Amino acid sequence: MSDALSFFFLLMSNGVMIGLMYSLIALGFVLVYKATDAVNFAQGEFVMIAALAVALSMLAAGAPLWVAILVGIAGMIMFGFALERVVLRKLIGRPVIAVVMATIGLASILRGVGPTFFGAGTKNLALPISDEPFVIGPLFIPPIQVLGATVSVVFIGAFGWFFLKSRKGIAMRAVADNQQVAMAMGINVQRYFGLAWAMTGIVSALGGIIWGSMLGVDVNLALVGFKVFPVVILGGLDSIPGAIIGGLIVGLVENVAAGYVDPYVGGGTKDFAPYVLMILALMIRPYGIFGKRIIERI
Amino acid sequence: MRFYLAILTTLMLAGGGLFGTLPATAQSKGEVVIGLQCDRTGATQIVGTVLCPGFHDYIALVNSKGGVEGYTIKALEIDHEYKVPPAVESYERHKKEGAVTMAIYGTPHIYALAAKLTEDRIPGTSPGFGSAAAADGIRYPYIFPIAATYWSQGAAAVDFVKKQLGGSLKGKKIAFIFYDNPAGREPIEVLEDLAKIEGFELKQFAVPPPGVEMGAQVLDIAQRFRADFVIGHLFGGAPAVSIKEFKRVGYPLRKFVSFVWGSAEANIDAAGGFGVAEGYYTMQFAGVGQDYPVLNEIREMYKKQGKPAPKEMASTVFYNRGVLIGALHVEAIRNAIKLKGGGKITGVDAKAGFEKISNFTLGGLVPPLKITATDHEGGGLVQIWQVKGGKFEKVTDWYSAYPDVVAKHIKAAAAK
Amino acid sequence: MIQRECGVLKTSYEADMALYPLPIARWTVAALAVIFFVVLPLTLHEYYLSIGNLVWIAVIGALGLNILVGYTGQVSIGHGAFMSVGAYTAANLATRLDSPWPVNLLAGGLMAAAVGAVVGIPSLRIKGLYLAIATLAGQLIIEWIINHVTFISGGVQASIEVARPRLGPIVLSSQRQMYFFLLFFVVLAIVGTLNLVRSRIGRAFIAIRDQDIAAEIIGVNIFRYKLLAFAISSFYAGVTGVLYTYFLGIANYEQFQINVSIDYLAMIIIGGLGSVLGSVLGAMFVTLLPIVIRLGMEAFGGVFLAPQTVLNLIPNLRLMMFGALIIFFLVVEPEGLNRLWRNIRNYFRIWPFAY
Repeated sequence: MSDALSFFFLLMSNGVMIGLMYSLIALGFVLVYKATDAVNFAQGEFVMIAALAVALSMLAAGAPLWVAILVGIAGMIMFGFALERVVLRKLIGRPVIAVVMATIGLASILRGVGPTFFGAGTKNLALPISDEPFVIGPLFIPPIQVLGATVSVVFIGAFGWFFLKSRKGIAMRAVADNQQVAMAMGINVQRYFGLAWAMTGIVSALGGIIWGSMLGVDVNLALVGFKVFPVVILGGLDSIPGAIIGGLIVGLVENVAAGYVDPYVGGGTKDFAPYVLMILALMIRPYGIFGKRIIERI
Repeated sequence: MRFYLAILTTLMLAGGGLFGTLPATAQSKGEVVIGLQCDRTGATQIVGTVLCPGFHDYIALVNSKGGVEGYTIKALEIDHEYKVPPAVESYERHKKEGAVTMAIYGTPHIYALAAKLTEDRIPGTSPGFGSAAAADGIRYPYIFPIAATYWSQGAAAVDFVKKQLGGSLKGKKIAFIFYDNPAGREPIEVLEDLAKIEGFELKQFAVPPPGVEMGAQVLDIAQRFRADFVIGHLFGGAPAVSIKEFKRVGYPLRKFVSFVWGSAEANIDAAGGFGVAEGYYTMQFAGVGQDYPVLNEIREMYKKQGKPAPKEMASTVFYNRGVLIGALHVEAIRNAIKLKGGGKITGVDAKAGFEKISNFTLGGLVPPLKITATDHEGGGLVQIWQVKGGKFEKVTDWYSAYPDVVAKHIKAAAAK
Repeated sequence: MIQRECGVLKTSYEADMALYPLPIARWTVAALAVIFFVVLPLTLHEYYLSIGNLVWIAVIGALGLNILVGYTGQVSIGHGAFMSVGAYTAANLATRLDSPWPVNLLAGGLMAAAVGAVVGIPSLRIKGLYLAIATLAGQLIIEWIINHVTFISGGVQASIEVARPRLGPIVLSSQRQMYFFLLFFVVLAIVGTLNLVRSRIGRAFIAIRDQDIAAEIIGVNIFRYKLLAFAISSFYAGVTGVLYTYFLGIANYEQFQINVSIDYLAMIIIGGLGSVLGSVLGAMFVTLLPIVIRLGMEAFGGVFLAPQTVLNLIPNLRLMMFGALIIFFLVVEPEGLNRLWRNIRNYFRIWPFAY
């Protein structure tokens, strides 16, 4: 197979894998938005502290991997419940920008917490996966990407099923649709809000483990949160399948830009190419590809 | 209502009280102030949290031995989170406290403060980062790189690669992977010039900050461009990511040499440890390792105080650089005081003090710099160390390369 | 207690429509003017004046963003990019054509306004958070263009040195001189914004914020006014960028990145959306907060902890307190410092009665 073609396949496979891993983080964002209409600007920081929790229990407490993962997930669930209780419950009914700003403030707090109590050095999150890539024909696929993509697909499928079929999922969708009517029907809105944030916590923990292992656990890990925006906007803010499609598109576009556009324009297009695509997509479908169209009534 | 009033009054009183408790301005007799800027919470906190303690420890050591010619040194540190407005504000604060030298941290920051430093006639140092043109002491009288600038590092890297590839670069392919910002792009003009002179093919691979994901660029280098050698200019968290990515595509790390800010234990640890980074070549502008007399003295100092040596000392690359910067500032102040015959010094005197630094090696930690009124860089000296067998091993001694090419660029920049 | 409106009667329309019709308002403004123009610059040390300068620059930027986000309801995260457009336009004009600073200021503002209008084009179709992220895209694209097009950025370093502004024979170089220079523009900006929001354009903006479909039905050309909002807001941003460049002496796009945009959003939300006083208070709060925290830690931190620990702790504590204070304000008073002040003022207005 010719060099150029095999490079193209390499880029494509890298894009698909990384895209699916982005979807995992985007899933956290979508879960919260779908259930509570709250925009979580602190998604990257959630991933960071989840990874920090897992890394610390492995390094400082010497726990084996599966215990650390459980600690991370449990910790994030509690964090989600606590967050909803302490901060977000008071902001119900406020304009959306207040919640956005609250999550930005939260992001700032979380960024300071890690280095204050645990030092600024990068911690290593060792997963029992080798670093040697799988070689399939012309493709080099690192095992960590395979793991990430699999986890991502599995959990997106699971949450998708949850929202569609299970009782709790339907209740959550009702709450997201119209809080007052849901309350009138006897649904405990506040408990479901807490549950939504807890689910985001779980997804952040998974994302944290995978991305933390790939990038190393330090403050910079929170920066993956910025990648989440083009993914969710393209896919639709409240659409779970949109998270996968958005992630795939962003991953592919980034790699195509880096591989084929960069050499001509001097580099750096990788970061904003998905945004350009996003604007074009928004002009055609203003609520994202799969997003729910908001009907405004006067 | 009353609740809000109470909060407001408390804030007001606190504010009033705080402004009252500010330390007295200007240096009291017997004290020389250095203004240190640091980044402990921003993009390069991996460096700042280790480098600045090194600076402080050296100052403490000097003070514990009676100071400099009878004066105690006071190093005031302000963290600017790698943002420019806090850097400007800390500059003003240091000026108010009477600082005679400033240790600036960060390429955009030295650019932002260059005009002010020259106006206020306070020398500012920018070791190992931009601006390379400031090596010209006539054009930039108050900016002191005091260590290899990015141009010198680029030249030294090419020279090292040439030796690694058997003495000739003709027809070879070198990839330059860098941060897509002014600091990252600075070496490119020198590298392109050298590509023409030595006949190799140079290809640039930009990584947009913050550099958390560079899979496509690494794939390109390894699989499409198939570089014979890679020169890396990344900092913050990106070097660790680059090590991991190169390993993932199976590119040998012994064909990689990194500029000075991707070359520390902290970066290697972040990548997964010395075992993972085996073969990685790094460029240093300060000595590496624990084995220097001044470091032993610092450990002694801590032992006398009954405290264990700080854990930052283990991260020797960045810590030693902090010691180097502190040592050069102290040396400049020493020269300035001697020139003034023991009197109180100002920024102008400190500038003259810097320009007299030569043959000050601190037991091998500091390269044999020679800073003069025309050359504020001191020779552009670096060392190469390699990750081998779980630690750093010295590969070359202090050297600089292609001084004529670098000088040509400095002259061209000064003419603008 | 302070019966503001008693006995105030106007005999002409102009008098009634004046910016400060009540005598007590006029006295307050006069007092503030005396404090800021006379008392502060003559009594404070240059360091404090430099902080004041940073605050004034932020005030102008916050005013601009509030026009867009607070009065027109279009969330924008691209403010930093418009500032850098203004900064580089002015810097390029100053170095290439040697033009005087009023020309640079105006040109920077107008160029930023033009770019802002272009970035605002999607606002016709896209609303809410989607629009916010579209403006974020605009920020990234503008950053990349400035970074890579050497005609604009002036070379690899992307920094352009700018000479100090001159007022006739006087070169404005000290912080004190800068203070007056900036204060002049701040006053212009505040008065301009106050009048803008009372005018027909301002009412159109508010109509768009509240119910843009209803506004369109009654005849407000929402596309034109949305673009105008973006343009005016970006003009303020461009002016902010130019003034910041003159303050520093150098234009560099790395000072205007996304963290700056988010900082300005924080300013107007904490200060109060849709109010001029809110923009001013918010800008003061967000700019002074890190400095106050650091001073506090320096003064009191040494009591509890070793110096090295304090140094490591201060910046992280600052981050945490910044976030905590934002959340505190949002929970306690989501309409910002402006509402806080109005509550206090209304309390004293009818004191000692309760209503």
